[in-house]
Amino acid sequence: MGREVSESCVDSLLTEMVSSYCNRFYSNKPELAARRIEAIGYQVGHQLSERYTMERPRFTDHLEAIKFICKDFWSELFKKQIDNLKTNHRGTFVLQDNKFRWLSRISTDPSTENGSQDPESKAAQAMSMYLYFPCGIIRGALSNLGIPCAVSADMSSLPACSFVIRIKA
Amino acid sequence: MQFFGGSDISPSPPPPTASGHNAHMMYIFNRSGICLLYREWNRPLHTLNAQQDHKLMFGLLFSLKSLTAKMDPTSADKGNLGVPQLPGQGCSFHSFRTNTYKLSFMETPSGMKIILLTHPRTGDLRESLKYIYNLYVEYVVKNPLYAPGTPIRCDLFNTSLDQYVRSIS
Repeated sequence: MGREVSESCVDSLLTEMVSSYCNRFYSNKPELAARRIEAIGYQVGHQLSERYTMERPRFTDHLEAIKFICKDFWSELFKKQIDNLKTNHRGTFVLQDNKFRWLSRISTDPSTENGSQDPESKAAQAMSMYLYFPCGIIRGALSNLGIPCAVSADMSSLPACSFVIRIKA
Repeated sequence: MQFFGGSDISPSPPPPTASGHNAHMMYIFNRSGICLLYREWNRPLHTLNAQQDHKLMFGLLFSLKSLTAKMDPTSADKGNLGVPQLPGQGCSFHSFRTNTYKLSFMETPSGMKIILLTHPRTGDLRESLKYIYNLYVEYVVKNPLYAPGTPIRCDLFNTSLDQYVRSIS
């Protein structure tokens, strides 16, 4: 497992993937594009969790699996761990990463910040497309560990972003 | 601090802040002469409108580069004018100084031209320009929301550029 790939290549590939799905394959249908991107993330997460749990015993409960995602899985993917984990002990977990690597270079047009609400939500929507892939990865990883769930992301305070995992009862 | 985004109408400028900024202004052009960024920190006198100003600057540098290459007494090879080379290779001027300002210039192999105007006692800024090019690569080229060839409107790039320019003596 010692092979490496250039991070710039991965970043460019992810950017191009979102751009292709949003602007070419499903232009004017952002919900469909989002679902396709999330599905790709699901496959990737599924396979990655297989690989990274090779030598480990089964997880005893949901919290252990989530902690695996926060520590080992996140370190393998992003070279750092999740900074903050919150739970309501009723199946909802919030994972907060204070400097999410894949969003560290994204920024918007400063001159439209003072404008009407519309340009801001367009920029927010454009940025949110880049979060579907990591959400899919988390969902795929957890479902491979036997935990079906729904994952959504919240990026109200860049560069920090939170992933909300809701485990299906 | 004014911000010109290329050929569109500029917003009305806020009152000038001269304190804390050591540089006067900065241009970034791409290979085809489109001004991607014009940033101004301290420019009391405007003689031309923005369009003419950018065209004049681009034309001046293009001519200066070919003049300096043609007048090179040490090189027997005519070289390939118009083809961008690595900074330091071939013959290219890198700065000129008048009694009121110093203009520093750098061209990258991809044809990006970075021009920085500072006070006349500034030292050699070649390494600084390389660092600014690095900032450009990190926060503009790798920004998923940026379309190449369009004026740069990236908040992160603007803030990190301002911070860096403030620290150049």
